[in-house]
Amino acid sequence: MTAKPGTLDLSGRQYRHIRHDEKERLFDEVKKDLRFEEYLYGCYECGICVAACPSARFYDFSPRKIAQTMAREDADLFYVMLNDSIWDCSQCFSCDVCPRKNSPGGLITLMREVAVKNGLASAQEALEGYGRVVYKIMATGTQVSPDMLQANAFPDWGPHVKDISENLEVWRRALPPDTMHTTETSWHVDDKTITELYLIWHMTGVMDMIKEVDEGLFMILQDVMEDRLEDEGYDVSFD
Amino acid sequence: MSENPEVRGCILPLDLHYSVVDHTWIRVHDDKTVTVGMTDVAQNLAGELLHAKPKKVGTVRKKGKPLATVESSKWVGPVKSPLSGEVIAVNDELAGDATLVNRSPYKAGWIVKMQPTDLDAELAGMFTGQEAVDKYRERIEAEDIKACEHVEGFEI
Repeated sequence: MTAKPGTLDLSGRQYRHIRHDEKERLFDEVKKDLRFEEYLYGCYECGICVAACPSARFYDFSPRKIAQTMAREDADLFYVMLNDSIWDCSQCFSCDVCPRKNSPGGLITLMREVAVKNGLASAQEALEGYGRVVYKIMATGTQVSPDMLQANAFPDWGPHVKDISENLEVWRRALPPDTMHTTETSWHVDDKTITELYLIWHMTGVMDMIKEVDEGLFMILQDVMEDRLEDEGYDVSFD
Repeated sequence: MSENPEVRGCILPLDLHYSVVDHTWIRVHDDKTVTVGMTDVAQNLAGELLHAKPKKVGTVRKKGKPLATVESSKWVGPVKSPLSGEVIAVNDELAGDATLVNRSPYKAGWIVKMQPTDLDAELAGMFTGQEAVDKYRERIEAEDIKACEHVEGFEI
């Protein structure tokens, strides 16, 4: 018997083919993070976090189950959560209302980082639709660009989206701050900021994470960043 | 045999060489330079393009490295070079209208022209004619790639 579509299968049978020591290794990677001990103190199973959680209203998702799984040190269940549950969280941290001061949202942050660093297929799939958003953040420092507003991408926003997208430059010029007269970025970003941003991505290992989940995106970013850093006199390679 | 075979509505002209894995095509000219572009399958997967930014003339690329960055509303990706060589011309028209790639992926929407460094050897790793169509069909069916939709004014 398999779980109903949209239902979280907690039995773990879908991951029987994964070695137990691999699941333990990934669990250990989460536990080794300095933040881990501040995010998990124990769980009463009171369910206050679930009551506060917006995602729990719409998905078969429970911050309590995340905290419980980690507290029980159940590597098999951890692996199920790592693949099938953590991407349902909206990272709003409403669950921080926990009377034991747990942070299921924080635990999920750590789990997502481990999933991405290890290039899990489920992480690649979850992030696939966000390629251009990640590109924009990393290449320009601004997340949502006005030119994303296209009728074919937002049919649910109504017919006026077409008019806005066709006359985007005019609409943007109607905004009072001239730093927002941009269409490819949310606002004008100066060269010094961009250079510092690229150095931060390089020094903190973010580009290594991108390489694991999206090789195409990595190649584009590598080109953009290495060119600029070279122009600014930095000898940096992302390989 | 049709001059321009279709797989799930995606047009694949027989006279081009294809890198099926990277969704690119090349047209080999008499002087051994090549024109590079995205296939109909690629433009369809990307969606209506907002930006298509080729690398500058003079850029030297190894096979598999990006020749251009293309962006649609929610997607961004590289056009990977099917050959090693130097970019000798870029399609300047794309700066003003990236949807040329959607409307005319094999003609007006070409991306760059290159001077390949090892054309004969690398060409052997690409597919052309009916073999290319068959290889592309295998990939499209294996990955269940969606059928091609063509925008108004689409041309071959």
